[in-house]
Amino acid sequence: MKFLKSILVVSLLSLPFSAFAVDENFSNDKVTMWGDYSGITLDVKLIGGAPYDPLYEVMIPIWEAKTGGKVSILSKKSHFELDKEIKQDIAAGNISYCVVSNHTSFATQYGDIYRDLNGIVPGDFLAEFVPLVLDHSTVDGRLVQLPQHSDVSNLWYIKSIYEDADNQKRFKDKYGYDLAPPETLEQWKEQAIFWSDPPNFYGTQYVGKEEAITGRFYELVIAEGGALFDENWKPTFNDEAGQRALQWFVDLYNAQAVPAGVLNYLWDETGLGFASGTVALNLDWGGWGAYFNSEDSKIGGDVGLVRFPMGSGGKRGGWSGSHTYSILNGCPEENLEAAASLIWILTNHEAQMHEARGGKLPTMTRVWNDIASEMDAAGNEFMSNLFSTFSASMAEDAFTPPLIPEWIPFSNIIFPELQAAIVGDKSVKEALDDAAKETDYLMQDAGYY
Amino acid sequence: MSRKFFSGPFILILPSILAIGFVIIIPLIFSFYTSFTSYKLTRPDSLFNFVGLRNYERLIDNTKFWYAFGRTILFLAVVLNLELLFGLGIALLINKITWGQRTLRTIMMFPMMFSPILVGFQWKYIFNDNIGLLNNFLYLFGYESAIPWLIDKYLAMGSIMVAEIWANTSIFAILLLAGLLGIPRDPIEAARVDGCNSWQVFKNITLPFLMPFIFIALTIRSLDVGRAYDIVHIMTGGGPAMRTELLWTMIARIGYKDANMGFANAMSYVSIILSIAFTYYFFTKLVQARRDLGQQ
Repeated sequence: MKFLKSILVVSLLSLPFSAFAVDENFSNDKVTMWGDYSGITLDVKLIGGAPYDPLYEVMIPIWEAKTGGKVSILSKKSHFELDKEIKQDIAAGNISYCVVSNHTSFATQYGDIYRDLNGIVPGDFLAEFVPLVLDHSTVDGRLVQLPQHSDVSNLWYIKSIYEDADNQKRFKDKYGYDLAPPETLEQWKEQAIFWSDPPNFYGTQYVGKEEAITGRFYELVIAEGGALFDENWKPTFNDEAGQRALQWFVDLYNAQAVPAGVLNYLWDETGLGFASGTVALNLDWGGWGAYFNSEDSKIGGDVGLVRFPMGSGGKRGGWSGSHTYSILNGCPEENLEAAASLIWILTNHEAQMHEARGGKLPTMTRVWNDIASEMDAAGNEFMSNLFSTFSASMAEDAFTPPLIPEWIPFSNIIFPELQAAIVGDKSVKEALDDAAKETDYLMQDAGYY
Repeated sequence: MSRKFFSGPFILILPSILAIGFVIIIPLIFSFYTSFTSYKLTRPDSLFNFVGLRNYERLIDNTKFWYAFGRTILFLAVVLNLELLFGLGIALLINKITWGQRTLRTIMMFPMMFSPILVGFQWKYIFNDNIGLLNNFLYLFGYESAIPWLIDKYLAMGSIMVAEIWANTSIFAILLLAGLLGIPRDPIEAARVDGCNSWQVFKNITLPFLMPFIFIALTIRSLDVGRAYDIVHIMTGGGPAMRTELLWTMIARIGYKDANMGFANAMSYVSIILSIAFTYYFFTKLVQARRDLGQQ
């Protein structure tokens, strides 16, 4: 009942993501791409949802007012739904709209429907982006997308329960080491079990379906010293490292240290669940940061953050990617400059500062420095810690999923098998072996061997 | 021949033939053709990559598909029977009412007015293990464990069945109520004069008269339930671990998410065997029921 009340308060009485003010003169942007686009209407399809809408609400009206152009949003939905829609658009030959949200993990699937942004977007502007992120945005030598923000996850926790003397004593008596935010996957599991008091309070949680759980499994495999594929693209995730990674999910589920419905959870459920104050440890991206610590959250002012704990392979998880924008080949030539201008305003310095104030991770080197300076100057220790922690993750831990067209089909093969092991329908080995067998067919059919 | 071809009646029905051709026959031929190709949505050129029976051969060995096939039959059997039972009960009760029957008939149709997407979200919320109304209601009575309604091997499918039955029982009720209103009073009154009790009247007079309506309702709903997608997609997405995977959630995932439309279409054509079988069975029973009543 406590959980119900908390979630209702959090979800009904608050708007999780606020729009921050922007400098409409864009004085910190070295490159501007204004123009007179009167009479031009750009058809766009965008990723939608609470974390993404505030930027559109601020930037699109400014762009329309300054250029005279209009933006017609044909579709706004989660990236999983947008992905399906784009595939149907390709099949129907309906790809004459101009701008579309994209993601580095998804872009390789869509063939050659996107324009090469080299030559469309000024080189001076591209030079501002982190080179590695631009590299990840390149498919077959073509820069098909411009990154808006990056994502990688770290571990959020409720500070007060760690600072409580009684908890510290009970924990040390039980596990023999001092209670502190976990540094290893093993500690994370032990602490999650220690905190759990279902159905009112859970030790941790994870996103439990679709590409979300595939990505989480992937980063745990890496942390455990394994890999999804060998150098010939043969599946290797069913080896001992893979089994240890999956066993971690299974153990937490069996110990009821995660909510029973976790296999139906995606990002909104985990984010709102943590903000409701009923989960001790939550692995999530920085985009929720400002909200977690705000007055709208039940744990506002009581939120700590540490790096992704290490696995037995001596590595941390770091599944990463970037939300991006692309211009389609079907965009009429006369709208091309306006389309480039629109993705400029959604990815420029001002846009990235706007997003970073909420905790999203910039893709421009200069914004990392500027946001850190701004937060330090404001004495905002929470946000300063957020950016130093995530900056270290991006520099030392982050890795993309295999940037191949088969990533999503592979994910659709493996995630039901991961779930089958978690709920006990199959053993860990059996589930991973079955997934490996099907993945083998997938890679053979795709011509990898 | 040419005079017949351009005769008045043919010209009059030509628009219908063209409409059916464009809307039904051409897409059917196209999708059937693609089931023999390796067509991927994201690779339009693969439309011409003919692979013969490969998709169908793979299907035969695909245990996940046959599990989904079996699950769909189970889903159909349970949902249709319960909807019939509840629909018949509601229709009989409403038929007895002499005051406020129209209002009740309208209220009864409310669930049909909601889109399946909305019904899915509504029941997903009710059955949510943490914030769901049902579990929190149980906590009020001292139950201290979160029941994973949408996760458990049996409860997950049961929860989806509840949503499906809630949304569509009124279709049965309305069709059967129409049947009840059309039953002549004479045989019922004669039976009562002869000393039949209510059960005997229902079993020997009302039910035989209703059987054609029952089989029509079963035919319509079997086609509907056999294509169940929206509610399942919203409530569980076919998961977890494919525990609630039905044919069309599986086909939609393979067709749209994996973009593997050739294989998905092969699955679709095997899947419609189920609809054909149910329709054939119910139509046979419908003809039999009409014959029993002395109708053609």
